[in-house]
Amino acid sequence: MRINAQAVAAAFWLSLAAFLIVAGRDLGIGSASEPGSGFLVFWGGVLIALFAAGMAVESVRGAPESLASLWKGARADRVLIVSAALAAYAVSLTTLGFLLATPPLMLVLLRVVDPVPWRQAVPIALGATLVVWWVLARLLAIQLPAGPLG
Amino acid sequence: MPEILASVGQGFGVALQPLNLLACFIGVFIGTLVGVLPGIGPISAMSLLLPVTLSGTPEAGIIMMAGIYYGSMYGGSTTSILVNIPGEAASVVTCLDGHQMARQGRAGPALGMAALSSFIAGTLAIIALMFVAPALSRVAIAFGPAEYFSLMVLGLTLLAFLTQGAILKSLIMATAGGVIGLIGLDSITAQPRLTFDRLELFDGIGLVPLVMGLFGVAEVLTNIERRLSRDVIAARIGSLLPTRDDWRASAAPIGRGTVLGFLLGILPGGGAVIASFAAYALERRFSRDPGRFGRGAIEGVAAPEAANNAAAGGAFIPLMTLGIPPNVVMALLLGAFVVHGLQPGPLMMTQNAGLFWGIVASMYVGNVMLLVLNLPLIGMWVQLLRLPYNLLFPLILLFSIVGVYASQNNVFDIYVMIGFGLFGYLCRKFGYEPAPMVLGFVLGPMLENNLRKALILSQGELSGFLTRPISAACLLLAAALLVSATLPTLRRKRDAIALEEGG
Repeated sequence: MRINAQAVAAAFWLSLAAFLIVAGRDLGIGSASEPGSGFLVFWGGVLIALFAAGMAVESVRGAPESLASLWKGARADRVLIVSAALAAYAVSLTTLGFLLATPPLMLVLLRVVDPVPWRQAVPIALGATLVVWWVLARLLAIQLPAGPLG
Repeated sequence: MPEILASVGQGFGVALQPLNLLACFIGVFIGTLVGVLPGIGPISAMSLLLPVTLSGTPEAGIIMMAGIYYGSMYGGSTTSILVNIPGEAASVVTCLDGHQMARQGRAGPALGMAALSSFIAGTLAIIALMFVAPALSRVAIAFGPAEYFSLMVLGLTLLAFLTQGAILKSLIMATAGGVIGLIGLDSITAQPRLTFDRLELFDGIGLVPLVMGLFGVAEVLTNIERRLSRDVIAARIGSLLPTRDDWRASAAPIGRGTVLGFLLGILPGGGAVIASFAAYALERRFSRDPGRFGRGAIEGVAAPEAANNAAAGGAFIPLMTLGIPPNVVMALLLGAFVVHGLQPGPLMMTQNAGLFWGIVASMYVGNVMLLVLNLPLIGMWVQLLRLPYNLLFPLILLFSIVGVYASQNNVFDIYVMIGFGLFGYLCRKFGYEPAPMVLGFVLGPMLENNLRKALILSQGELSGFLTRPISAACLLLAAALLVSATLPTLRRKRDAIALEEGG
């Protein structure tokens, strides 16, 4: 089935707009002479809804782009791998600490996407981690998560 | 005049202090570096270094950040000319004739002209800044909440109008950015808004993770999908000095590019990217032989390089005099002011005269440093361009993570950065530009504050925005832009000049 890409985007914005309108109302819109906390959240939602409705109308005119065509010829798997690696890194950073969590992330980035030979990847991963740690922790006195090494 | 000269003298006293000289050098060096390297631009570099500026004086930090911005304008041309890939967005147009000159064995004069026209325009823009900023700040003192609100509306509309792609998409991004900027405690009632009971969100979303995500991470995710091919000019570069004929052909384009760039830089929503394209288009129109453009015309290098550097200087005016950032880079600079407890605006020139004039004077110094850096170090930049992207992007991501973490010492910000990185990647896929979102994010809370104040002062009378001349003019201009975007003829013209801002 051919899915209209811009219609998907318009649906996303309309959902966000609906959420903002409800959230703005719950926060309290107030009045024109005494605007409440939700005043701009509410009107922001209304504006997004109007723009998204315009997008929805435009998306059915002419020759709409399909969702699949946006990723035609692209290596979307690389995007997924890098995003997953970054998320895993963020999760493990507090428990493992900077010095233990960073080299595996660097190795994944250096090896999985467009492989760098091991003899280069390992020293770069370790070297970059140590240099960044030294500059931040020692030179700039910024506290990095220490993990079990702390 | 004597007043300004005395102030400039005071500024040089600040700029020439050893620490500030070092900060200026580091700034222009990093700026040139990120300008040279495709895939990392001044926005990512400034976000990354924002936390570092906290450890020094406000002068040193802001001088360094400013140096990164105008330094990147210089560096971007090197990559455009030698590799045919713009080092940063404002140098896209330099590829057209610069790379053709390089292919014809004239890489040296192209690089030389890019550096020299940047220097001339950058210096002239600073001189203009010296005279325009004090005059505008005197006018800006009379601005009330209604004027500020309307000016911000105009800025966001103008940015949406000039950004590439459908104007509706830009308006959605600007509005969504504005709402994201409201996350956290309401500045008037202290009521938590859109925080989902997460303590980390009570202070709002940070500018650094948002920008690093939308620009740094999203740029990497977009680049790794496809292999970046690079065709670095291998031949020896030779003499960098342009010939007498080159100067004759370029003198007027440099002048026109400087004036146009400076004016477009001042406009809220304008900036270096738009300026470089507009200057190129203008020169083609002025040329007796427009067919030469795109085939190695030196005016095609001189005019856009002059324009983007002049725009970089002009962009400081709305920030310094009104406290309103006209583009994303200036929004980051505003962030640097705020972290140091300073508020740019009409009173800055009287309350922080040393800082203001110190920054202006540091730009003179920085321009000289850039000329010295760009001409003899071309060989080093060429070597750097040979660094493959599969080695570069893991380092960019590592620096982004570290920069984001260091800004607040908070792992939550890394999640925010990754989230906005994915969102930014999808935005690029669906044809949404991230720049209006960032400007909306920065201006959102200021806009809300001024709107609420204006409404309270006028007791809810919306006509208050139209009875004040400056406010009315801004709103009418914004409305005219929106209407004009729907007219087919103007829409085609807009599409021809519409460009991505930032990078």
